[in-house]
This record gives sequence, C-alpha cells and structure tokens, in this order.
Amino acid sequence: MRSLRDRLLGVVVLALLVALWQIVANLKLVSPVYLPGPDRAFTALVHGLAASDLGAKLMGTIEHMIEGWLLASIAGIALGALIGASSQARAFIAPTLEFLRPLPASAIIPVAIAVFGLSPAMALGVIAFGAIWPMLLATIHGFAAVEPRLYEVAAALRLSRPAVIFKIALPSALPDILAGLRLGLTVALILAVVCEMIAGLNGLGNWVLLSARMFRSADLFAGVILLGAVGFVGALALNIAERRLLAWRAP
Amino acid sequence: MTAETATKELGAARLAGADARRGGAGRDALIEFAGVSLAFAGKTVLDKIDLSIAKGEIVCIVGPSGCGKTTALRLASGLLAPSAGAIAFNGAPLQGPRRDVAIVFQDYGKALLPWRTAAGNVSLALEAAGTPRKARPQRIGALLAKVGLPNHADKYPSQMSGGMQQRLQIARCLAQEPIALMMDEPFGALDAMTRQELQDELLDIAAASGATIFFVTHDLEEAIYLGDRVIGLLPHPGRVGIELKIDLPRPRDQVATREAAQFLRLRRELYDFIKSAER
Ligand SMILES: Nc1ncnc2c1ncn2[C@@H]1O[C@H](COP(=O)(O)OP(=O)(O)OP(=O)(O)O)[C@@H](O)[C@H]1O
Ligand SMILES: [Mg+2]
Repeated sequence: MRSLRDRLLGVVVLALLVALWQIVANLKLVSPVYLPGPDRAFTALVHGLAASDLGAKLMGTIEHMIEGWLLASIAGIALGALIGASSQARAFIAPTLEFLRPLPASAIIPVAIAVFGLSPAMALGVIAFGAIWPMLLATIHGFAAVEPRLYEVAAALRLSRPAVIFKIALPSALPDILAGLRLGLTVALILAVVCEMIAGLNGLGNWVLLSARMFRSADLFAGVILLGAVGFVGALALNIAERRLLAWRAP
Repeated sequence: MTAETATKELGAARLAGADARRGGAGRDALIEFAGVSLAFAGKTVLDKIDLSIAKGEIVCIVGPSGCGKTTALRLASGLLAPSAGAIAFNGAPLQGPRRDVAIVFQDYGKALLPWRTAAGNVSLALEAAGTPRKARPQRIGALLAKVGLPNHADKYPSQMSGGMQQRLQIARCLAQEPIALMMDEPFGALDAMTRQELQDELLDIAAASGATIFFVTHDLEEAIYLGDRVIGLLPHPGRVGIELKIDLPRPRDQVATREAAQFLRLRRELYDFIKSAER
C-alpha cells in the first residue's frame, strides 16, 4: 500500500498542475478560444451537469465502457482458459493471436460499421474486440504458468476436471487475469469515446466532439475532466478489488 | 499448549502401535513391484525392480542422486506407469493415483495453494473426497491440531515457516485418510531440530494410524531411524543394491536410538554401500 506521504505528494503535484494551467490561461499564452482556465472549465462542468445533458452523456459513456468490458472479460477469460489449459491448443492458436493482437482496434471500426451500421451494436463489438486482448492473453499466460506440482496434487487427490479449473487453475491465474481486467478497462474507455465520436452515440465522446466543433472550449474541457475521472474511478475500484482478492500474496 | 497435548496423546498411541508394527514382513503386501522397469525417452531409469512393502511397514529408500528414488515413488503412487513389469496395490493392479494413497512432496511451498489459508488447504482434500460442507470445519480443526497447527487455521502458507508448511501438507494428506503415505525427501529442506520433531511426529502418526510409509531420503540416519527396512538403490540404471532390516526397538528415541550399537553398525553398512554406489 502506498504511504500517506506519497499520496500527499500526488495531490500536491496535481494541484501544481492545475495552478500552472490557470496561470497559462490567465496570461493568455494560448488563446482563450482554445484553452479555458480551470475556473471556466469547472463552471462549465457544474453547469453542464445541472442544466444541460452532460450527466446523461457521462452515464452513456460509462454504460458503453462497462458493457463492452464485461463482454470482453467473460469471453476473454473463458477463451483464455480453454486455450491456456491445453499446451497443444496454445501451440496451434498462438500464431493467430500474435497476428490479430497488434491490430489496432480502430482498424476494425470500418468493418464493424459495414456489419452493424452506426449502431450501439457496432460500438459494443468494437469495444469488446479491442478490450478482449489483454484479458485473453493474460488468462492464457496465467493458465500456462500454473505450478505443475499443483496439477500433481490435484491428480493425487483425484480432483474432477471442473474442480481443477475452478479450484487450482483460475485462482492461480487470478493475478494475471486482474492485470488483464485493468488494461482492458482502459482500452474499453478509449474505444467507447472513439465509437461515440464516430457513430454519434450518446456519450462524452460525442459531447467533446460537438463542443470542439462549436468552439465551446470550456465545455470540451469539462467533458475531458469527466473522462479522466471515469478512468480514475474505474482503476481505483479494480485496485480495491485486487487488494481484497489477492490478500494472500506475501507482502 | 494444545499442540503439546496432541503430541502427548499421540505418544501414548505410539506405544500401543509399536507392538502391532513389530510383525514386520510376515504380513500381507500392500504394494508389490514385479520386474518393474521404467525408461524416459529410451533411457532406462529403473531396471527390473522387485519390491514388496507390507501393510503398516515403513520402508525407506536411499541412494545416490539421480538413481531413481523419486521415480520409484511416483510409480508406487500411480503418478507414473511402468514401461515393463507390474505394480500391484492391495493385490490388484495399480491403475493411477488413489485417494487412499497420499503423497507428501518435498517442495511443500509449491504443493500448497498459496491463495488458501491453512484450513482451506486441508479442506481441498475433503472437498475432493466429497465430505459434506458441514462436516469439514470440525475435521479440519482436528487435523490441524494433530500436526501441531491448531492456532494457525487462518494463516496463509506465505505467513508460515517451512516446518509449518510441511506440517500443513501432512495435515492435508492425513485428510485423505490414507492407508499409505508416499514421502519424497519430505524433511530435506528443514533445519535439524524441526526435522527431528517431524520425524517423531511422523512415527507417532504411523503408529496411531497403522499407515504404510514409503519414505525417500538422502539422509542415511533418517532412513535407519524411521524405517522397518531400508532399501539402497544403485544408479545407472536404478536397481536394488542393498536391503537392510531394521530391528531397532520402537518407539524410537532421538538420543537413545541413535546411540545404539546396532544403529551405528547399520549406519556404517549403509554409508559404505552409498560410497561404493557413488563410485
Ligand atoms: N520426466 C523425466 N524425463 C526424463 N528423464 C527423467 C525424468 N524424470 C527423471 N528423469 C531422469 O531419471 C533419473 C532418475 O531421476 P529421479 O528424480 O528419480 O532421481 P532421484 O534418485 O530422485 O534423484 P535425487 O536424489 O536427485 O532426487 C535421472 O537421471 C533423471 O534425469
Ligand atoms: Mg528425487
């Protein structure tokens, strides 16, 4: 766990950055049309949440992100377990994965649009496709790295096949899977925003794009701040879950 | 404390069990190797081993490194199948690992589930055996007390010393209610004091339960101290080179037994054998 001092330092650095931002804005080093100060951005944020539909946009983005991420997680962990549990499957499938993995998720957006149209289904498909990789690869790795001695223990106890997967392999792969879940969430947020921009879906991506087009820089920054907050809270939640689930690890 | 009382109770059982054990080789065979050979990728590791282990007997296997001790134990546990020859268990061909045969691995750190507490690790064996959930806590408590860990049920393996981890592995093995314990250098990584404690606790458990024990070790004195019989293997390929019957009285005692003239004589004999085998 991080010490109190480190946390304080983190807050100080953040405060310094905000202050620097304010100074740059006040000095008009960048035109106010493009760069509002934190004061204006914060006012726009409050106003957007209270009087405009920024709250609905926020919920839209969270929904897209979580739906895609959940789909990717379930599929990634299940597929990863299937592939990882068999060294033969790993040998057969690894080359295909190595080919598909570096493919940027944005590259499949045109394909997804052709198949699904500019619809929420397209967004779900793109987000899930992009976010599945970290989960899939981490799960395969986690399953492949199970201590062989534990499989012998399982054989000696005559554990059933499902028991071996759920009681030995999955918990053993959990640290890897959790790391994959965290990476996947970041990817899901990025792709949610991209899809909202491209398909005009209700969400912060759409809000940010429209604000930029209308030169409403304060609104744009309000959206960006919210996006940062979503990513931060998501990572925090996963950190807490991880600390609880991996309490057994030696400190 | 509780651990001590548990040990004392076992001490009494040890006295009672001692006479039962003296029957020795006259009893029925539990494990029988008949002309067992094993080759890995064409290389013969064990060559035509004939070996009979009686019910309730403690047989210790010694031999130079790489002579096939671990392989012999894995064959006897059903983790490996012989390339030639046959292994019988209780009169029937051995088909594979059995729940009533427990294996204590040397690397206890790798053989325990690090994400489960001590209680959870013992529970694994009960879950495998289909013990009802409600009956588990009581049995786990009794097993942990038996191996001297009554107050450590909620500790994770990473929070335990090597000796405690090996005790925990033994508790999990006892949860299988084994009629045979297969032990591959189980105390090899422990310090001398802990090792002697565990040797005595093992003898107590064996006496109380009547379990048959197949014990692989590098430590010649340990083999003589524990065994009813010590078998020395010769390397390249692994085969039986010497067989010593150990008639030292039970219960054995860390000081008196090791000072006995017969103990010293056996140690000498085994030592000379190992020296010649290594050449
Ligand atoms: N899975 C395997 N594949 C190929 N060769 C093996 C395998 N396991 C063991 N061997 C070989 O078989 C021989 C006997 O190995 P084994 O582990 O049984 O010896 P050991 O007597 O237990 O040695 P140690 O005292 O070092 O533990 C060694 O030469 C080893 O290299
Ligand atoms: Mg060995």
